[in-house]
Amino acid sequence: MLSQTAKADAAANRIVPKTVAKLQEAVREAHQQGEPLVIEGGNTLSGMGKAPTRAARTLCTSALRKIHAYSFADLTISVGAGITLRGLRSALAEHGQFIPLDAPCAQRATVGGTLAAGWLGPRRHLYGRPRDYVIGTQIVLADGTLAHAGGMVVKNVTGYDMSKLYIGSFGTLGILTSVNFKTLPAPQSARVFIAKLPENSRLRAINAIAQLNVPPAAALWVYGFRKAIDGEDGNDGRIFILHEGSAALIERASRDVRTALGRAGVPETQIIDTGALGAFDRILDACSATIGQRSITYRFSGNLDDAETRLRATYVATHQSGLAAESLLDLMNGDLYARISGKDAHAFCERIEALDDALHVQIPKAVVVACESPIRQVLNVWGSTPAALDRMRAVKATFDPAGTLNPGRFIGDI
Amino acid sequence: MNLHERLTEALGRDAVKTQPEDLAVYAFDAYSQAAPPNAVVLPSSTQDVAAAVKISNACGEPVVPRGAGTGLCGGAVPAKGGVVISFARMNRLLALDVRNKRAHVQPGLINLELSEQIRSSGLFYAPDPSSQKVSTIGGNCATNAGGPHCLSYGTTVNHILGLEIVDERGEIFTTSLDDIGYDLTGTLVGSEGTLGIICAIDVRLMKLPESVRVWLAAFGDVEAASETVSAIIGAGIVPTALEIMDDVIVGAVEAAYGAGYPTDAGAVLLIEQAGFADDMDERESAIREIAHEHGAISWRAAKTQAECDLLWAGRKGAAGATGRYAPNYYIQDVCVPRSKLPTALHSVTQSARRHGLKVGNVFHAGDGNLHPLLMYDKRDRQQVAAVIGAGNEILQTCVDLGGTISGEHGIGYEKRDTLSLVFSTDDLATMAKMRDVFDPRRVLNPEKIFPAGVGCAEVKPPDAAYVISNR
Ligand SMILES: Cc1cc2nc3c(=O)[nH]c(=O)nc-3n(C[C@H](O)[C@H](O)[C@H](O)COP(=O)(O)OP(=O)(O)OC[C@H]3O[C@@H](n4cnc5c(N)ncnc54)[C@H](O)[C@@H]3O)c2cc1C
Repeated sequence: MLSQTAKADAAANRIVPKTVAKLQEAVREAHQQGEPLVIEGGNTLSGMGKAPTRAARTLCTSALRKIHAYSFADLTISVGAGITLRGLRSALAEHGQFIPLDAPCAQRATVGGTLAAGWLGPRRHLYGRPRDYVIGTQIVLADGTLAHAGGMVVKNVTGYDMSKLYIGSFGTLGILTSVNFKTLPAPQSARVFIAKLPENSRLRAINAIAQLNVPPAAALWVYGFRKAIDGEDGNDGRIFILHEGSAALIERASRDVRTALGRAGVPETQIIDTGALGAFDRILDACSATIGQRSITYRFSGNLDDAETRLRATYVATHQSGLAAESLLDLMNGDLYARISGKDAHAFCERIEALDDALHVQIPKAVVVACESPIRQVLNVWGSTPAALDRMRAVKATFDPAGTLNPGRFIGDI
Repeated sequence: MNLHERLTEALGRDAVKTQPEDLAVYAFDAYSQAAPPNAVVLPSSTQDVAAAVKISNACGEPVVPRGAGTGLCGGAVPAKGGVVISFARMNRLLALDVRNKRAHVQPGLINLELSEQIRSSGLFYAPDPSSQKVSTIGGNCATNAGGPHCLSYGTTVNHILGLEIVDERGEIFTTSLDDIGYDLTGTLVGSEGTLGIICAIDVRLMKLPESVRVWLAAFGDVEAASETVSAIIGAGIVPTALEIMDDVIVGAVEAAYGAGYPTDAGAVLLIEQAGFADDMDERESAIREIAHEHGAISWRAAKTQAECDLLWAGRKGAAGATGRYAPNYYIQDVCVPRSKLPTALHSVTQSARRHGLKVGNVFHAGDGNLHPLLMYDKRDRQQVAAVIGAGNEILQTCVDLGGTISGEHGIGYEKRDTLSLVFSTDDLATMAKMRDVFDPRRVLNPEKIFPAGVGCAEVKPPDAAYVISNR
């Protein structure tokens, strides 16, 4: 519990500008005074990266949540970066549209934060990445300058596509204040399939899903996450499949899924129609859910080919360290999420450093996606260094030479 | 040693061109203005490219990467001379990974050849500029090319997973969407050779669709056809392609290919839907109904693959077919919000009429991406002036409608001084920061994209917009 004075301090150190002009002013001031800022949206992915160094004050975009323009007949929308994913979703739903942003905690996560974190979800193999839907951005740079990129048209090669640079830059190059998207007509219907996997059926089930003619919008193998995710584990965990599309297509897909899983030795499949997307949301939430001070969540990305190797390496290392793992394997994109926890904070803290080292030996690209602050400062949160790190550093040095925005949060202490 | 000798020593005699008649060929792309380079190299490897850049650096020469030279805005024209790096010999598919649906290719690989080479694997490469029979994947990356099927599959950038780049100093680096860090891949795509030279590309492939239907609807005029497009999109239907051709284009196409378009219509709308057989009837009747509600005078469904191919061949060969009307055409490329299509088209017609020019429209209607073709004779100065005048009006009209000055062809040399119609000085200075990082000396494809002056000490927008005719 924070004491009253600590709470007051925190409030005083928090800036929540109501307009872009005010936000520019705050950034300009911080820049002039050489005072770094922590940039925050909904604070849902604050467990990624290192806590920014030297920054005493937090700048939050959550008040910039207006819908500036929604040309639903054009399938385009322009929103303030502080709007929540849920807010955006319900505005779009009124006109039967959607944008596949697929990030955790939709009720709190902001559009700006989700994009800045470059979050990638399970439906991207079908619909593309969030970046593919961004057609324009407005950003406040480290010196307070307001810059635009793109526009409100769905095809645009007028100048550099600066939005691509900002998406996934973790607020280290600028603060997104407004984003223009192209939208999609929402699928007519959605259906979730959940199946408990008996012993030794996992690999067969995974292969069967890979062979499906109608690709699911999302398919995951889940192990653990009791209560957090629908369904129950069998000895080999459980399968979660989301199909989206016309009623006719879903009928066909349903037959295929049941036949495929049946052949793989899976006796029963549970179907969720009403609330299918809610069940999918719980999957998304699990990807970054922590259990206080006694857990960490990793993302091990890669191709499906080596998913099994990553999975095995994770479980072996976790067991050796005396901790427990729960996992989510994205069967369409190859991402593996593993939540590793200890019985209590003490046991966890004692072991996590060694485990982090061991995991990175096996899976160099391991990225921490959720872990509370003091613990993760000593971990290799971003995994192996990208080939072009020196260029990235040069970009940071040009956009934010004084290190005003989220200094130290991103890879290579950018 | 001079430039020619050093290049020859490093790359071999066979890979260096220095004769004026050879250089003249590389002075052009598909834009009207030309400038010859001082040398042309035809590298066989990334190392060759790196060596050529280092030598150019040492001799104080800029470098200009070049694919097939089909660019329409002077992007591959060596505006300041220097060394052209042609990728004609780096044209191979290096690796195909069927399971993970990706391929590693050289930049000189012709777009269509990739899809043809991998067809037996059940995969294809989606971005399909109308120039795909000749343009290269490297050139497509550099311009972030679009195409008819980008309506549902997205433009080139959505299909690029990583790049191997030779930088302005001749150093090699790689970018990948699989790496953590800034998305340099996405930022370099579409940078028209001004941020780095693309020497290898990882592309995303897609599964060939189970079912494809192609329909052709005919209308009384191009406005009715474009209202239909707006209505289809407005109804929440995004087919795989929605392409419009007006009567001028249809006449030319029929004379050239006999694609089977009705010549008595004011415009035709070519529609393609790819996907699953289960959905097709439902889709067809929904789209057909909207077309009829908006005044379609006929509706035809292609019954065989040959018929589909023929309908598409007409569309993809449309620009070339206009040669029967005038010796030259200028193709404008603008994009507007889709619901503004009818208004934009009306203005295009008005502009052309005011300037006494024949205009044909063939365009990616579903994306709001217009391509008015202004027909003229470049030997006639008055006609050239008329094209410039009409071209500028069209740009301004589209910007006024909330659109932009290039949807897919790029800025290049042609449109660099009109960039400030859509971007503020601060916006342009922000883009110039990327240039400062990747090419501070402006040796990579100089005189492109940025208005003269941007990124140098002073940043000021030009006084007036102008466009020069191409072709
Ligand atoms: C008839 C016709 C139809 C067309 N249809 C379309 C269409 O539907 N959609 C569309 O988008 N465009 C279209 N275009 C325009 C053109 O084909 C595209 O811009 C295409 O992407 C250019 O490819 P290219 O290989 O010819 O490149 P080039 O013209 O040689 O070069 C284009 C630009 O890319 C740069 N570049 C080339 N290779 C590299 C490299 N390896 N590394 C870095 N920079 C490089 C060049 O410097 C230049 O700036 C059409 C053109 C014609 C003539």
